[in-house]
Parts: sequence; C-alpha cells; structure tokens
Amino acid sequence: MEKYLNAPIKEIITKFPEVGRILEEYKIGCVPCTLGSCLLKDIVAIHNLPVDQEAQLMYRVEKSIYPDRDIKKPEGKASARKTPSGKIKYSPPIKRLVDEHALIKKWLELIPAVLEKVDIESKIGRQLILDGLDFIRSYADKFHHAKEEDVLFGYTDKNLDIIKTILADHETARGHVKAMLEALGKGDEKTVFEHLNAYKELLTEHIKKEDEILYPWIDRGLSTAQVGELFAKFDEAEVKIDKEVVERCRRFAEKAEQRIEKIKKEVTK
Amino acid sequence: MTNMGMGGCPGSRMQDFREDTKGGKEEVGKRQSQLRQWPIQLHLVSPEAPYYQKSDVLLAADCVAYSVGDFHKDYLKGKSIAIACPKLDEGQDVYVEKIKSFMDDAKINTLTVMTMQVPCCGGLVAMAEQALQSAKRKVPVKSIVVSLQGDVLSEDWVQ
Repeated sequence: MEKYLNAPIKEIITKFPEVGRILEEYKIGCVPCTLGSCLLKDIVAIHNLPVDQEAQLMYRVEKSIYPDRDIKKPEGKASARKTPSGKIKYSPPIKRLVDEHALIKKWLELIPAVLEKVDIESKIGRQLILDGLDFIRSYADKFHHAKEEDVLFGYTDKNLDIIKTILADHETARGHVKAMLEALGKGDEKTVFEHLNAYKELLTEHIKKEDEILYPWIDRGLSTAQVGELFAKFDEAEVKIDKEVVERCRRFAEKAEQRIEKIKKEVTK
Repeated sequence: MTNMGMGGCPGSRMQDFREDTKGGKEEVGKRQSQLRQWPIQLHLVSPEAPYYQKSDVLLAADCVAYSVGDFHKDYLKGKSIAIACPKLDEGQDVYVEKIKSFMDDAKINTLTVMTMQVPCCGGLVAMAEQALQSAKRKVPVKSIVVSLQGDVLSEDWVQ
C-alpha cells in the first residue's frame, strides 16, 4: 500500500476507478482535477477527516486496490462523509481571500450569459470582454493570486503537490487570458469564447478547492502569531496596488450583470 | 460538580468542584512562569510599554488564569498580557481606549481575548470589538471562552 500512498492520485484513479468513486463519497473531489499530481497520502491528510472515517476510507481504498488481500476492517459503520454543517470558519487574513473569491465568482457566474448573448464585433460587447479581461488580470491575478503566491504560500511547503496544482492552475488561467487577448485582436470570437469558458470552468473548480480544502488546511497549521503576521503582510501587499484599480474592478463586477442585460435587450430589439 | 443553588446570576452562583479535582497524577517539579511583564491590570498598563510593541497580546478576564490549569504554558507563553473584569471594574470606557491604543499605537500583531463562560464576561469581548471598530489599524482578534473548570468551550476569530 505504501507504493500507492506515495503515488499521484490521477495515476491511482486511472488504474483503479473505484478509488475515485470512494473519494467522492467522502467529498474528496480529485476526479475532476485537471492535474491530479497530489499524492494519495497528502490528499487524505489535507481533508482532515475524523479518525474513524479516515480509517474506513483507507480500508476501502486498500481493498479496492488489493481485493484479495486480507485487510483488517476498522470497527464502526462504513459511513460516507456528510457535508459539514454550518460555515467554514476562517482566520481574518484567509477570510479576506475568501471574500475576494466571492467577487471573482460574481463575474464567473455571468460568463455563460456572456457566451450566449455577447457579440464581440459590437462596440459594447467588445468593451465588456476587454473590461472582463482587465478584471481577471488586475483583480483575480495581480491583486488576489499575487497575495497567495508572494505571501500565503510562503507559510506552506511550496514543493507539496497541492501547492504545485494551485500554482499550475494560476499559470493555466494566465494562458487563457493571453489567448483571449490575442484572439480578440484578430476578431476570432470562437477562440475568445472557448478560452473564456475554459477559464470559467478552471477558476470555479480552483476557488472551490481553495475555499473548502486548501485554505482550511493552511489555517489549521497557522499559529496565532502567524495569523497576525499574514494579516499585516496582506495589508503591505495591498498598499502596493493602486486603490483606484481595485475600485474599478469592484465596480466592474457589481455592474457587469446590468451591462449584459443591456446587451441582451439590444439583441432582442 | 455540585450546584449549590439554581437561582441568581450564573457568574456568582456557588458551585463546588472539590470532588472533580480529586485523584489524578501527583505533579513533581516546578513550572516556570511565562509572565514577562509587570503591571498586568488593564487600568495600570501602558500601551507604550516596550513589551506590547508589535506583540501578540492576551487580554484575559480576571478569573481565567485560576480556571485554566495550563494557562501559562498554553496561553500566556510568548504573549504580553492585560487583565480586567468586565463585571466589577470601574471606568470601562478607558478600557476601550486602551485596547484601541494597543492596536493603533503599540501596533500589536494580534489580540486574544480569553473569557469565562459566564454571561457577564461577554462584555470584555464586546469592548475588544468596539476598540477594533474604532481603531484605524485593524488586527486579528480571537475570542476564547473557557468553562468554569477550565475547558476551552470555543475558539473563534472575531470577524
């Protein structure tokens, strides 16, 4: 089993699809992960399952890999993990990142309507896409991801696969933005929309992963003094960014829905 | 635990824990104090004191240290302290100003407010929240509530 505990999860799920189904029962969402390079042992540790549930999970995983092996079944009922009731409690600096996610999600949720209604040939449609890209680059990337990469991840081991996965997501997102800008310059609506949709899919999953798994895990490892340090470092990082740019991005996310509605009305005229 | 009567204020209701403290291992050796300053009473302390600058501050209700067996080791270690009683102390408006001064002037790193489970202790957390709202500089504030017999009942960041 040691061999599989130290194996990337994608490799295990590909070889033993039942493992993916078991992980999903325990609300461990590795199956749709784009990278899947995290090691099984890290995944189990990071989800902070109660001891009895972790024992049950490991028993079932081991049994599906080695069905003929005689493995001692842990005592207790093999219950799947229930969705935790109530909100996840974050420390103040981590809560700040979660609140930033809320604004990013506001834009992500509007992207299907953009794909359906917006014509990049029109001035108003093109401007909406350009402003959306400005929001992604200035707020989601420079303001938010930079705080994670330059400050937060310094409190973790950057060689951990979970951190590598998150950083790879950031790079993939940057690639989508670059491709969208290039396609927009050529008036290639199909490519713009393909990358915008891919960006939405990627970031939606990425934010869920961070809010539900990564951030609570980092929070559990921080001492009170480190929480204070992190809070102050975020303040310092934010001071370096033009306040007007952040405000412009907030306004964009708040008003984007109205702009799409306006475009929708013009299309149906 | 023996309850010596059900009525009245939970903060001053008589309770007898003698039976609960019987038994257990006899401790040997001497534990080192983690107190690194004097004075400690909130009226007497000055936020300008060097040990408060950029420090992690523990603001504890008076009774907490008597209730939590490992108070020094688990909560005081590495922190500067101030103590107060939100039920009996006078001049509590000064307290709010002083906590605000910890945040703005001493530029503390964090504030941990430790209180007892009795309702009157909630006033100390309220003072810290009031100070945080009026302070120019924001810092993470944590609230730890302990039971009369020293168990941690909750540990939450004040948002």
